[in-house]
Amino acid sequence: MECSFGLTGKDYVLLCSDMSAGRSIIRMKSDENKIKTLGPHLAMAYGGEPGDTNNFAEYVERNMRLYHIRNHYPLLPESASAWIRRTLAESIRSRKPYSVNLLLAGYDTTTTKPHLYWIDYLGTKAVVPYAAHGMGVYVSLSTMDKWWFNDMNKREGVDVLKKCIDEVKKRITVHFNFNCILIDKDGIHHIDIESEDPITELESQQPKETLVDAPNPPLDIGNVGVTA
Amino acid sequence: MARRYDSRTTIFSPEGRLFQVEYAMEAISHAGTVLAVLSKEGIAMAAEKKVTGKLLDLSLAPGGEGMGGEGTEAWMGGGGEKIFLLNNNILAGLAGITSDANSLVNFARNSAQKHLFTYDEDIPVEMLVQRLCDMKQGYTQFGGLRPFGVALLYMGWDPIYGFQLYQSDPSGNYSGWKATCIGSNHSSASSLLKQDYKEDLTLEEAKSLCLKVMSKTMDSTKLSSEKLEFATMTLHPQTKQPLSKIYRPSELDGLLRDLELGGTKEDLIGAMEGTGGGGAVGNVAIST
Amino acid sequence: MNSVLTQLQPHQSRLEEYDELEHTDAAAWGSMAGFGNLSRTGGVQGMSVPRVSDPTAFLDLHTDNMSSNPEAKIKIAHGTTTLAFKFQGGVIVAVDSRATAGSYVASGTVKKVIEINKFLLGTMAGGAADCQYWETYLGMQCRLYELRNKERISVAAASKILSNIVYQYKGMGLSMGTMVCGWDKTGPQIFYVDDDGQRLKGNLFSVGSGSTFAYGVLDQGYRWDLTDEEAQELGRRSIIAAGHRDAYSGNTCNLYHVKQEGWDFIGNYDVNELWYEYENKKKADREIATASAAAAASPMAVEQ
Repeated sequence: MECSFGLTGKDYVLLCSDMSAGRSIIRMKSDENKIKTLGPHLAMAYGGEPGDTNNFAEYVERNMRLYHIRNHYPLLPESASAWIRRTLAESIRSRKPYSVNLLLAGYDTTTTKPHLYWIDYLGTKAVVPYAAHGMGVYVSLSTMDKWWFNDMNKREGVDVLKKCIDEVKKRITVHFNFNCILIDKDGIHHIDIESEDPITELESQQPKETLVDAPNPPLDIGNVGVTA
Repeated sequence: MARRYDSRTTIFSPEGRLFQVEYAMEAISHAGTVLAVLSKEGIAMAAEKKVTGKLLDLSLAPGGEGMGGEGTEAWMGGGGEKIFLLNNNILAGLAGITSDANSLVNFARNSAQKHLFTYDEDIPVEMLVQRLCDMKQGYTQFGGLRPFGVALLYMGWDPIYGFQLYQSDPSGNYSGWKATCIGSNHSSASSLLKQDYKEDLTLEEAKSLCLKVMSKTMDSTKLSSEKLEFATMTLHPQTKQPLSKIYRPSELDGLLRDLELGGTKEDLIGAMEGTGGGGAVGNVAIST
Repeated sequence: MNSVLTQLQPHQSRLEEYDELEHTDAAAWGSMAGFGNLSRTGGVQGMSVPRVSDPTAFLDLHTDNMSSNPEAKIKIAHGTTTLAFKFQGGVIVAVDSRATAGSYVASGTVKKVIEINKFLLGTMAGGAADCQYWETYLGMQCRLYELRNKERISVAAASKILSNIVYQYKGMGLSMGTMVCGWDKTGPQIFYVDDDGQRLKGNLFSVGSGSTFAYGVLDQGYRWDLTDEEAQELGRRSIIAAGHRDAYSGNTCNLYHVKQEGWDFIGNYDVNELWYEYENKKKADREIATASAAAAASPMAVEQ
């Protein structure tokens, strides 16, 4: 019983995941962060078999970090998605596969384009403008089909996301709390999706206050990308 | 005295030197010169072919008549002796022992394909250089083996750092350059490059600088496709993707004639005049 | 033999050296108290799993571990209520003491709180043997950490060791639901670790077949600013509630309180005795309440 969405906009990507964790029908936690920061402009929302999820997310996190340390620049979203897909594709053919589904969101600093990838435990990868995993699929995909359009600004994007969350709350019997991030050229920001106007809140604060920490970038990579 | 520290690559001499590695470097300074010049618009590379001669059968070499002749796809891999395509976005010029070089080229191409397999992107230039240098370094440390007698110039493009030019030597050291040179006469060529290099060169200027320095460095007075290989790395004007170009002999001769550096095979001068050959390209080469 | 590959990738020989090191290392510690087969990094060398192609299916067939086959001949001891919560005064840990094998009460005096060290407690739910074995092993690792690093291990790190181990054995039939509780540099901490390999940090957890009943009482009475006495009473009351309702929980309740200076054992309480004590108190309170309510409702009576 989990639920996550993602959607791209003009120059940003939004990622949203529920925060429940437990065992069978018992919810033991309703504030578990199931979005992992993988780099200065990369994050994923993950779900699936308990135990596998965290283990796989940490494995990805450490590998992305290693790449960053070795090469002084992080993997771009496109290549990171290829690596993650490949890892899952190799895993499914192993003796003990990871059962993890995920949405990967990133901002490509070289092309200044947002990216969203839908990836499942079989190693399927789809490049998508918006997507959902878990229970969110049943109600939110049609919502996004209707309301999403190309080149939405941040406020419009958050409105679509809110519509999805409202629909989940209205039609899915399970109650969820949601955690939400936004990735743009400045990095990864936390978004308070319950608030009336999260974007105004975001813009009124110093960028540093809303920034979600990337795992210790060794260098300032803000200006990477010659074609930018 | 030196004998005792010569035979094994892994043993330091009392002065703290690795003789085998130094000898490998020495081997390279007798090899054909390779030089390259970086510009904002792209990179140019020229390489001196040492194995030439009338009796050499090139019909089965890439581009030779046996392989379909000039302009066939066989050219994609490189000119056969000095300049090779390592990956879509990376070309390398080699100086040193050719057989060692072939093995390195194979390793590099494998590494690049492995990266493509895992990350679905062309390997970043410096990463490929590192892969090769890690391998080269291994042979200066593990006993019973001989280092690769090869130095390389790599020119490439990636979306992170754009156009890049690197050089590596048998010890496994590598460094990035705006213009550099390996092989015989590399020190005099380097000082020529230093003299004439200007920031904000155009690609045309880079090409010309490359060949001019080459003509001064090489023993022969006239350059021609018989003794040279030439390549450029640019971006495709529409797709903005890297475009590697290894010049065909006729294209190179045309370029040399334009630059008044030669470009006509000496034994063909008379024949071309006789048949009125040369076509659109003016026969300026005769005057040099 | 002298090929480039073996020269550049000395994995095999390194592994052998490492093994050798492990053995001398174990010997240096003298008796390993039956844990001589354990590696330093977690996991066990030579730990046996059933020699069949699918150990999980094998266990499922012969034990009631996976609960899909209650008729299995081997009844593994489980069925439990355990709970732990953080509050302003530290961590309260409360558990019952019943072990059942099928419908048979195998023991009523099980110690389900494992005292890992002076600052760390582990609770035991699921397979008694699995919990006891791995939490004792965890205690060993924590002590080694202390000796090697000259400082106490954090609760986060200790629980991570345990979750890494159980994750290695995922799908092979381990049955554990445990809470690693303690006090470290960051203050009081609770981590839930289970046989899925899941590891959760939190303020309040309850684990076992009686956990739903315990949650019912616990959630209603929980506040951060509980006093020590209130908190201890809440833990105790929740276990009694679960012991009363859940057939697989009961007998007695063991109560621990973790503070900055380490844990205290508060006491052992008989579930039945306490239950009826609570019942009587409830009745008495109710009588007093109705009496005073009645008194308040008729002013005439007061005047009389």
